[in-house]
This record gives sequence, C-alpha cells and structure tokens, in this order.
Amino acid sequence: MKSAECLAMILAGGQGSRLGVLTKTVAKPAVPFGGKYRIIDFTLSNCIHSGIYTVGVLTQYQPLELNTYIGSGGPWDLNRNSGGVYVLPPYQSAEKGEWYKGTANAIYQNIDFVDKFNPKYVVILSGDHIYKMDYSKMVKYHKEKGADATIAVIEVPWEEASRFGIMTADNDGKIVEFAEKPKEPKSNLASMGVYVFTWEVLKKYLTSDENDPESSNDFGKNIIPTMLGNGENMCAYPFDGYWKDVGTVQSLWEANMDILAEPPAFDLRDNSWKIYSRNPVKPPHYIAGSASVKNCCVTEGCNVYGSISHSILFEGVTVEKGAVVEDSIVFPGAVIKENAVVKKAVIGEEAIIGKNCVIGDENTLSGMYESQYCTGGISLIGGAVELCDNVKIGVNSMVTESVKSKGGK
Amino acid sequence: MRDMMGIVMSDNNEIRLNELTQMRSISALPFGGRYRLIDFILSNMVNSGIINVGVATHINYSSLMDHIGSGAPWDLNRKIYGLFMLPPYVRGGGAISAGNIDQLYGILTFLRRSRQQYVLLASGKIVCNMTFDDALMAHIEKDADITVIYYDKKKKDEQLSRSTVYEVNSDGRITGIENEPHFPKTTLEGMDMYIVERMKLIELIEEAYARGSHDFIRDILLTKLSSAKIYGYEYKGFVGKVDSIRSYYENSMKMLDIDVRKEIFGAKNRIYTKVKDQVPTQYGAEATVSDSLVADGCVIEGRVENSIISRGVHIGKGAVIKNSIVMQNSVIEENCDIENVIIDKECTLRASKRLVGQPNYPVILPKRTLL
Repeated sequence: MKSAECLAMILAGGQGSRLGVLTKTVAKPAVPFGGKYRIIDFTLSNCIHSGIYTVGVLTQYQPLELNTYIGSGGPWDLNRNSGGVYVLPPYQSAEKGEWYKGTANAIYQNIDFVDKFNPKYVVILSGDHIYKMDYSKMVKYHKEKGADATIAVIEVPWEEASRFGIMTADNDGKIVEFAEKPKEPKSNLASMGVYVFTWEVLKKYLTSDENDPESSNDFGKNIIPTMLGNGENMCAYPFDGYWKDVGTVQSLWEANMDILAEPPAFDLRDNSWKIYSRNPVKPPHYIAGSASVKNCCVTEGCNVYGSISHSILFEGVTVEKGAVVEDSIVFPGAVIKENAVVKKAVIGEEAIIGKNCVIGDENTLSGMYESQYCTGGISLIGGAVELCDNVKIGVNSMVTESVKSKGGK
Repeated sequence: MRDMMGIVMSDNNEIRLNELTQMRSISALPFGGRYRLIDFILSNMVNSGIINVGVATHINYSSLMDHIGSGAPWDLNRKIYGLFMLPPYVRGGGAISAGNIDQLYGILTFLRRSRQQYVLLASGKIVCNMTFDDALMAHIEKDADITVIYYDKKKKDEQLSRSTVYEVNSDGRITGIENEPHFPKTTLEGMDMYIVERMKLIELIEEAYARGSHDFIRDILLTKLSSAKIYGYEYKGFVGKVDSIRSYYENSMKMLDIDVRKEIFGAKNRIYTKVKDQVPTQYGAEATVSDSLVADGCVIEGRVENSIISRGVHIGKGAVIKNSIVMQNSVIEENCDIENVIIDKECTLRASKRLVGQPNYPVILPKRTLL
C-alpha cells in the first residue's frame, strides 16, 4: 500500500467522559495503558505496521498533552519527508470557524488536508481502542469487493450487542442493515469504528451531510445509514482478534488485567507487531530485598520495596516498604507510601498515597467519593491527588482532589 | 556551552575485558541493564550544551555505530553540527593507527573544520553524570594549556596500577604524572578527560605525530609536563571507570545502591540511550526477586538476587540467578543455577545448567553462547 493510495484519519478529539477524573486534563487517547503506552499508541502502531505512512490525528478536547505526546511522530516512525503524522485541531477560516460538531464534521473540515495527498482510500479510525489490526488487509478486501465503504466488525456476546452499532450482513459480506445500539439486535456483529472509504464517495456524502441542518454529523448516526439507504456497496470486514473499547474505568481496568492473564488475552510481546510509544528516559526498575513481585508488569524507573501482585506499574512508580498493591494499575510517577494498601484501584499519574492509607477498603463506605464512573468494585484516584496518611477510601470511589487531613478535605 | 566541542575516543585497545570486548569496542559495552558505556559521556556532553561531537572509532565499531545511529537519542541529529562518526583513517592500506595520537591525527580535518574554541577530549568508558561547565571555567581562569579531569580514588588498588595517576599542587597545577605505576604516589586517578583549546590541540597532535609519537599521555602530557601549563580539575561525584572485568563487574553492582543510582540516573541531567520499544517486564506467579535491577522486555519466572538483568531476558521457572549480570535477550531456562556470572548478549542456557564463578572473578559467557 503506497502512501498516496491510502491515508488514515484518527478521531482523537473525544473527552471520554466516562473515564471520570482520568480525562479531566487529557483526552482519552492520551490515557496511559499497559504499563508504558498511551491508548493512541495502538492505533498509530497499527498504521505504521499496515504501511500507512500518512496519518491525520483530529484533536479537540484537552489536546495539549496529546499534541506534545505525538510531537513529530518519531516514536512511531511517522516523522517523514513525505507524509508522516499531522495533528489537526479545528481552525478558523475566512468564512467561519467552529469546533468539530461530530465525527463526520471533523473529517469534513479537513477535506482539503486529505485532498492534498490525493488518496484513493481513506481509513477512518478512532484513537481509543485497544487492538492489533492490519488495515492493509482490510483495504485489500475493500478493493476486492469493489466496495464504497467497508466496516470492520467483530462478534460480541449477544447480551452485549445492544451497546454497539450492529451490522447485519448477507453471506457475501454485504451489509444489509445497520442499527445503532438496537434494543433487539438482529445480529451480533458490532462495528469496531474502523472504516475504509473510497475517498471520492465519502467526500460526496460528507458534503451533503454538512448541508443537512438536521444531521448530527456523525458517522454511525448519519453517514453510514444514509449511504446504506442510498444503496451504496457497503461491506462488513470480519475481525476476530482482541479488540476492546476502553471507554469506562472498569473496561480500562479489565483490559489492563487482560495483559496479565496467563496466557495473556492480549499479547504485547509480539515482536512482529511491536507497539511503539514515547519512551521515558529512565533506568531499569529496581526490586529491593524487602519486595515481593508476583504476576505483575513493571517498567523502567520504578522502585519497588513493598509487595505487589497482579498489578501493572507504569514508569517511575515507587512502592515503599510494607505497602501492598493488588489487582491495580498505577500510572506514571505515582508514589505508594509505607504500609499503604491499594486494592483493585486505578492510581492516577503522580498521585501520592500516604502512609497506612487503604484504597479499595471493603469496610469503608464510599460516601462522598461514590461515583457513577467507578463500578465493579474499582476505586479511582485522580492524577496529582495527594492523600495524607491513614486515609481510607471505599470501593467504587473516585477521589478527584487531595485529602489534606484524615476524614476530610 | 556552545564554545566547546567534544571528541569521544571510543577505543583504547582494551585487553583486560577479554571476551566482552572481543566483538565490540569498549564504549559499546552494555552497562546497567539498558545502557552502553558511551551513553554516559555522550549524555554528559549533551547535558553540558555541547552540540558538536565526534566519535573516533578504532576497531570493531559496527555495534557502536548501530547503537549511536544518527545520534537522535542524544538530540545530536542536527543540521548545525551534531554527531560525527570518525572511522579510522588508514593511509595507503597501511596498518590501523598504532595509538591515540595516530587516531587524533586521522581526525584533524574534523578538528580544523569545527569552529568551537575548546575541545573536550574524552574516552567512552567512564560511568558518571557530570557537566563540564566548571571544568571549562577552571581551564579558562588558570589560562591552562591542558586541563586534566581527575577524581580521588581514595584507595590504592590494582586499578590505579593500570591507570594514570597525577600529583597536583595547591594551585591545581599537575606536578607529576605516573603512567601505570607499580606503587602509585597518589590516589588521584585520571578520568581520561582533557580540555584543550582546539588550535592548541591541533598543534600538539601535529607536533607529536611528526616526532613519530603514538600515545597522548606518554608523548604529550609527560613530555610537556614542565614546558606547558597542565592543570588538574577534580571531579567530586561518583566515578565508575571500566577497564577490566573486575571493575566492570564492581561498577555494575554499584548501580544497585540507591544513592549511586539516584546520582547517575535520577539527576536533573538524564542519561540517554537508544530506545528498543520493549514491553514492560512481566513477572510470573512464582517469581522471587530481590535487590536487582531489571530492564524492560523481560519475562521473570524464577529467582533473581542481587543481579542486573538487561532488556529482553527470559528467566525460567525454578532458575536461580545470584550476583550476576545478564545482558540483552539471553534466555536462562528452568532450574538453572547461576552465581557470579556475566552472561553476554543472546546466550541460551538450557534447562538445569549450573554455572558458578568467584565473587572477585566472575565467569564470562561470551556472546551467543549456547550451553
């Protein structure tokens, strides 16, 4: 696949509000994942492994960290003379300037950008899924079928099907029906939010969609149903690998735990499909004599003096003596102080858990920290939150601000 | 410090590192789980604001070139100056340079073409985290011809007898130099780092080369001791000089000390190295690890004590690794028993192998050994 033939656009502007305090200051694609990655690393790495060397990243919500992270694209080999990675925020033009109103509008506003590369096909991706996928195979399928649009689909359990955009396809793979979050699904093939479009066709539909004041300018809600209604040739591309939408705190936690399973439900150690990321400049991690480390992922710059089990430590995390971390993910730079206990929790970047604190304590009522975002018994401590010594936080709790004294703020 | 350039002399024909430097120049020797020795001097130079760095190579420099690449990890992939690999200059098919003066003579063009007023000449085998602003300031204040950077080893040991030892008067002037002394007079060991004015260095090299001299210390420093103004600058931080198996092993193990590690890797100035994009290290349910440094990309299922495990190493169930250094991508299968061993890159130890060295004389397993 040549860069001129195919280009990828990654939708990375969403807030991911169901991730609660984790996306208070960063967009969802910039949320840490898997010990040393950010969620968007998976999509960017898929692009480079699929031979797509021209990638537009559409940002809108809290773009600062994401923009800095992507930079010139070097870590993903996307710093190139021809093509490479482009961060595309909304902009003002002579006539008007506006935010991205929806996923389709975001692409619409960048028609000129895409046209500059004159591609035959455009791959539309979202920057907030965890999976490894060869898009070049999907583009090949799209060409073979002579399709106008190809949508990647994955089988989901029937009972969950009503949470997704559901496709019904005939035996030849042609999509005959599409329903966004149907109450009574007719199929269990869910859209993965990965689309291949023939650019000329998509451009036409984006333009007419933009002229429709009733439209919410969304691929799932507007573009796909309209194209289907007009009888365009739309195909479903079946994908059977690991794919996870990490839209909630619980699914984020679960997807991280999938890495720790034996054998891993999602394998990061595949050298033929490395996931690239911006690497920290930190020494190897240190495991002290007083430490115990069982069934964990630990990365560079960590110092472990306590006991950790079934957990993931990101770069530069410190677990002090006597501290216990179980079934948790600890984001970069966090410190778990002496004798603190962290159970089934997500600890935000640079958070400090004071001495003897208990996070995820079954005997403590969540009280004021109870949160709709935290389900499944998971507790969440926000980035840069500092808990003073001896604080106890119950399950299903979210702490967004520092606790300066025990029992209060 | 835009007015100083750096020259890294990447090779000193080191023979005391045996198998470890058979296949690579000493500055390409893996260190501390994810670094190579040259990372330290390169990072130190860059952290001092030096933007023009030449790496003079000698022999077997392919792994060094592979490691350094375009210099991007040190931000030395630049339009204006940046990193220059300087392979040996061989005249008319003759022998490769006999000493470092010949080596320097081979890079005179690079020195002439550069525009910085001062040169920091350094070897690539010192582990430290320093910047050179103060040393350059001292050089300028003393109006020195050559400033020698040294540190106080504080004890007389066998390493001093292989090294260059200095006598320094109260003004900081070097009054005596002993090269590989049997009974060293002082414990002030050279760090193989020198500050010289660029034009002065060119002059010294041309003069020495014309006399048929080969060695910078013997033929320039010692010869000019009374006629030139040679000053010393004492560096007070941690210095790990790697010039033998023993010093390699000892200095590696010092990285397990939190204070040393903080000084070397935790300081404001970072030590940069080539990135491998390894996954985080995975510990199995039966892993037992204590007092060890472990780099990314490993799978640890056995027992690791007081050891340094580099990137991409696999340690099988029931295996025990004690007081050892395991380099990149080596595989140690189930129930192996390893103590006081340096395992070079890409070695494989089949199940239940036993290998025990002495604490002061570790066993070395050369690169790609299959046991």
